[in-house]
Amino acid sequence: MAFQVMLNFILALVWMFLSSNFTAAGFLVGFILGVILIIIMRRFFTTRLYLARVWAIIKLTLIFLKELILANIQVLKVVLRPELDMQPAFFAYPTVLTRDWEITLLSSLITLTPGTVVVHVSDDAKVLYVHAIDIGDVDEAIAAIRDSFEKAILEVSKS
Amino acid sequence: MRTNDVILQFTAKIVFFIIFFFSIHIFMAGHYTPGGGFVGGLLTASAIVLLVLAFDLKTVRSVLPINYTYLTAIGLLLALGTAAFPMLLGKPFFTHFFDYYNLPLLGKQSLHTAMLFDGGVYCVVVGVTMTIIQTIGEDE
Repeated sequence: MAFQVMLNFILALVWMFLSSNFTAAGFLVGFILGVILIIIMRRFFTTRLYLARVWAIIKLTLIFLKELILANIQVLKVVLRPELDMQPAFFAYPTVLTRDWEITLLSSLITLTPGTVVVHVSDDAKVLYVHAIDIGDVDEAIAAIRDSFEKAILEVSKS
Repeated sequence: MRTNDVILQFTAKIVFFIIFFFSIHIFMAGHYTPGGGFVGGLLTASAIVLLVLAFDLKTVRSVLPINYTYLTAIGLLLALGTAAFPMLLGKPFFTHFFDYYNLPLLGKQSLHTAMLFDGGVYCVVVGVTMTIIQTIGEDE
């Protein structure tokens, strides 16, 4: 991953020296050529292409934006209802993520989508305790988080 | 019983860099726009305080092994030296000099001795703030 990004930058610099064009445009052309070369040579790398990771990050952002809008509409419905018949609940969410930044990112994503707030991370960092404003079925909520955010984060961190 | 502060600690580690960069920017911007040594120093101190809040005093001291009393002294010396230097040239106390230089990468910049004085103020503010917080924090 880091090696491929380095290689791409070095290839761009080599292109700048070859074409003796020391401008931002020359660097960009070299960078794009480097991307094409790295895609051609992908069989020689032990890890997967770093472009796949960039694409996974973009997908995660899009998923987050979609969930944000949907969840906001849901909370708006709860707030505007004339009678208060919501079902607030705490539930434990067992996570398979291990690294610090993954857990932080998942917690931030869960907290930023309205209706759910991460209140605590267990001491062995295997369980997140989530508070939800209006929840019918706990297993359904856990499955929803697992299928959207956790899957996307795993996609990013896969080597 | 230690609770798991993974979210706070990870976020603090990242935000520290952002606050530190912002403090350097504010310090540099002091001549033409709002900012300067005092605000920059307070911002730097607040970045370190954020680390102290997220971890603890011992960890932060091992990460940043700075003696803040010495830092205060260095800042005072820098400010006094900048102010006293013109007296050697027969100018009044606190005379400032400036000129325009063509620096590599940065282009045409005016270098001013008030910047050195501001650097002294910066060091004093960081040193004093951190000394106060460490002294209060270590009281058991």
